[in-house]
Amino acid sequence: MARRIDRRDFIKTTTVAGVGLTLSFTLPGVGVRKAAALSAWEPNTQMTLTPDGLVTVHIFKAEMGQGVGTALAQIVAEELEVDWKDIRIDYPTSDPKHGLMITGGSWSVNWTFDKLSRASVAARTMLIAAAAQQWKVPASECVAERSTVRHAPTGRFLTYGQIVDKVPIAARTWSEDDLKKLALKRPEEYRVVGQWAARLDIPEKVTGKAKFGIDTFLPGMLYAKVAYPPTREGAKVKAVDDKGAKGVKGYVKTVVAGDLVAALGTTLEAAIQARDALKVTWDNGPYAAVSTESITRDYEQKAKDDTTSPAWVEKGDVKGALGQAAKTHEATYVTDYVAHAPLEPMNCVAKFEGGVADIYTGSQFQTMAMGAISKQLGIPEDKVRVHQHYLGGGFGRRLEPDAIVEAVVIARQAGRPVKLIRSREEDFKRDYFRSFTLQRLRGGLDAQGKLTSWDNTLVAAYPGERYGGLDKEGRDQFALNGSDHVYDIPNQFVRAIRKETGISVGYVRAVAPNYTFFAVETFIDELAQLAKVDAVQFRLGMLKDAPRLANVLKMVAERAGWGKPLAANTGLGIACVTAQEKKDPTWTASAIQARVDPQSGAVTVEKVVCAVDCGIIVNPDGARSQVEGSLLFGISNALKERITIQNGQPVQSNFHDYHLLRMNEVPEVVEVLFVKNKEYPTGLGEPGTTTVAPALSNAIFAATGARVRSVPFLPDRVLAAIKAKA
Amino acid sequence: MATLLINGKSHTVDAPDDSKLLWVLRERLRMTGTKFGCGMAQCGACTVHLNGEAVRSCQVTVAQAAGKKITTIEGLHPQGQHPLQLAWIAEQVPQCGYCQSGQIMQAAALLAKNPKPTDADINTAMAGNLCRCATYLRIRRAIKRAAQGV
Repeated sequence: MARRIDRRDFIKTTTVAGVGLTLSFTLPGVGVRKAAALSAWEPNTQMTLTPDGLVTVHIFKAEMGQGVGTALAQIVAEELEVDWKDIRIDYPTSDPKHGLMITGGSWSVNWTFDKLSRASVAARTMLIAAAAQQWKVPASECVAERSTVRHAPTGRFLTYGQIVDKVPIAARTWSEDDLKKLALKRPEEYRVVGQWAARLDIPEKVTGKAKFGIDTFLPGMLYAKVAYPPTREGAKVKAVDDKGAKGVKGYVKTVVAGDLVAALGTTLEAAIQARDALKVTWDNGPYAAVSTESITRDYEQKAKDDTTSPAWVEKGDVKGALGQAAKTHEATYVTDYVAHAPLEPMNCVAKFEGGVADIYTGSQFQTMAMGAISKQLGIPEDKVRVHQHYLGGGFGRRLEPDAIVEAVVIARQAGRPVKLIRSREEDFKRDYFRSFTLQRLRGGLDAQGKLTSWDNTLVAAYPGERYGGLDKEGRDQFALNGSDHVYDIPNQFVRAIRKETGISVGYVRAVAPNYTFFAVETFIDELAQLAKVDAVQFRLGMLKDAPRLANVLKMVAERAGWGKPLAANTGLGIACVTAQEKKDPTWTASAIQARVDPQSGAVTVEKVVCAVDCGIIVNPDGARSQVEGSLLFGISNALKERITIQNGQPVQSNFHDYHLLRMNEVPEVVEVLFVKNKEYPTGLGEPGTTTVAPALSNAIFAATGARVRSVPFLPDRVLAAIKAKA
Repeated sequence: MATLLINGKSHTVDAPDDSKLLWVLRERLRMTGTKFGCGMAQCGACTVHLNGEAVRSCQVTVAQAAGKKITTIEGLHPQGQHPLQLAWIAEQVPQCGYCQSGQIMQAAALLAKNPKPTDADINTAMAGNLCRCATYLRIRRAIKRAAQGV
C-alpha cells in the first residue's frame, strides 16, 4: 500500500512574529500516489477530500459562538468549488505542527481569508490537473464546479469523490510565490461567500447533543475540587490537614502541588464534600488588603505623578498647543473590573499516561496551553494533546490555561484521569477580569473651535506579560488599542501607564477598545459641546482621512434620526470606532437612544442602530448575529457589570450580585446596517461592543445634560451626575 | 437509591437523596444536554420539566424528582423537531449554544401554557434564562415563530 501523503510533508506551518500564520508548501515526500491506495486526499492541512465526495474543512479556530467553522468552510467551498451539501467541518486536536492555535481579537476571518482561499485554489488546480491527465486533455479545457471536474468540450465529468477514489493526483509543490500568483475570484464571481448559509454547528446545539468540554467522561476518571486561596494573587499554602476529608464517602485522596490543593472523589459530590472538609492554612500574601478604594487611589495617584512611563501616541507638541488653546477641557474616565462570565464555567478533563498529557476542553489558545503544560510537567509540547470541544462561551476567558494546568497536574499526581469543574463562585473568584482603568484626558480648541491638542493619560494593568506580549518599552498593545484613534488632531500625546494591583487581569471581549473608546468618544462629545458644534459634524471634520469611518457615522446618524426632537428624559448618543486595531479596523458606528429616569437614575436603552464596514462579508446572517450579540454584550457591560474588590479578592460571586443583561432588558429595536463593498474582510466579534459605552454615555448626556464618566452607568452614578449638574 | 422517570424511561440511580437532579442527569446518567451554569437558579441553563413545569434542576433533589415525569432537552421531541427546535434553527438562534437547552425548555413550558405569548409574556417567562452571547433578539423571534406555527 502506498504511503499516505502526510500533511507534514506537504505544508509547513510557521508562526510569524507571534501573530500571523504563513503557509509554505514544501516538497512532498512522495510523487504520484497510486490509484485506489488512499482513503482520503489531503491537499493541505486544512481540508480532506474523501471518496464519498465529502470535503472536510479542518477548523483550527475555536467555535465559541461566532460561527467560525461555517465561515471558513464557505471560503473553501468558494475557491475549491465544492457543493455546499458536501461540506463537513471538524476541529483538530492540537499539535505543534499546526503552528499558532489561537482564537481571539476578531482575527479569524481576517487572518485566514486569503491563505485559505489560495490553499483552496491550489487544491482545485490539482484536482483539475488529475482529471485532465486522466482524460489526456489540456487542463485549460476543464472546469471545476459543484464538487465536479468537467471537460467542457465533451461534457465528461468526474466528481471529486471519484477523483480521490480512482484517479492519481499528482503531487505538486507550491511555494509561497506560486500561491501568491494564483488567481482568486473577484468578489462579483462569489457564489458561496456572501450568501446565506445555515450555521453548521447549530442543529446539535438545539438538541443537547453538542459536546462542550464539561460533557467529557473518561474511563476511571475521578472528580477534582480545588481549595482555592483566599486572595486572587500571592497567597501561599502553609499547611494542609486532610483528616476531615478522610471520613467522606467516595473520597480518594488529597493532592498538594505547590500552592495547588485539591481533593479527589469518585463522584462530584464526594469531591466537593471532601474539599470542604480540608483544612488549608494560608499565608494570604501581599495583596490581602487590596480593595476597589485602594486601587482607585493608586490609579489616581499614578495618573497625577507618573511622568516617565512611555508614550503610546506622540505627535506634534501637545504642551505648546494646550498652552495656546483658546479653550481647554479636562475629564477623567474610570472603568470598573468586568468579568468574562462565560455560561460554561471553566472546566477540564485531563489524563496523564505514558508521558502524554491528554486534555479535553474548549480552548481559545491551544498553543499557550501546550506550552504551559510542557513547562509544568517537563514534557515536550508534542506530548500534549488538547482535544478541542465546543466552547460554552469564550470572551477571552478560554485563552487562559489555568484550569487546564490545574487538571493535568492533579491527574499526574492522582495517576488517573480527572474531571475538574469549577463552581460559578470559583469561576468568578479565579477570573482574569478586564482591567480597572483610569483615563485622564485634556483637549484644547483654537479660536475657530478646531481641536488642536489631545492629551491622554491611560492607567491600566496589562495581561500581556503572561502572553509574552509586552513590547520593548513594556507596553501591552492589547491594553492600549483604541487610544490611538484616527481623528486628525495635529498635537497628540497618550501616556501608557501600567499599574498592577494583585488582581489578575485578562483580555475580555472587545479588550482595550471597550474602555479606550469609552473615554475617546465621550471626550470628543464633550469637546464638541465646548466648541458648540454638532457632535456628528465635529467628528466628520476630523475624519477626512478616514472616509469609511465617516461613512458609517453618517449612516447611523441618518438612520437613527439624529437631530430630531425626542421625548423628555430621552436622548440619542453617537460613537464611532476603529476596533479592534487601527491597522486592520472594522469601521463601526452606533447611535443609541436611551431614556433616563430622573428619579432613580435608571437607564433604559430603547434603540440601537449600528453600521459596520468590515469589507467582504463571508456569512451575512452570521455577521449580523455577531454584531447583534456584541451590541447587547456591550449594553450588559455598560449598564450592569461591575466587579468590586475587597481583601484582595472579588466581592461578587454569582449571577445574583454580578448582573448580566436579561431578556426583559433588551432594547425594542436593534438595527444593524452593513456597508457593501469589496474590501478585504476584517473582524466582527467585538467592534460593536466598543461603541456602546460611549454612545450610551452621550445619550445619557443628551437626555439629562449630565455626564457620567464611570462605567458601568449604575443608577446611583447617573443620579449623582444629574445632581452634580443641578 | 432512587427511581427517576426521565423522558419516558425509568432509571435507577445510586445517589444520595439530597443529590441535585442536575448532577445526577449529567454526571451519573451522562445526559449532558442539561447544562450547569450557576448552581443557584440564577441562569436557567439547567432547566428541565418536572410534570410539565419548567424547573431549575440545580435546585431539585433526587428525592423531590422521584416519581415525577422528568423531561430533558433530549426528550423534548423524539427526533429533536419540537416546533421550538425547528424555530431555533430557522432563526439561527444559538451562538456558543451552552444556554440554549435551558432556553428551549423554558420556552417550551411557556408555549405549553400560553400558545400565543406577547412580548411582555416572553420577557417575563424568559428573564430567568441568561445568555452571555446575548442571543435574546433571536430567542424572542424564534418563540414567536414557533407560536405562529411557521
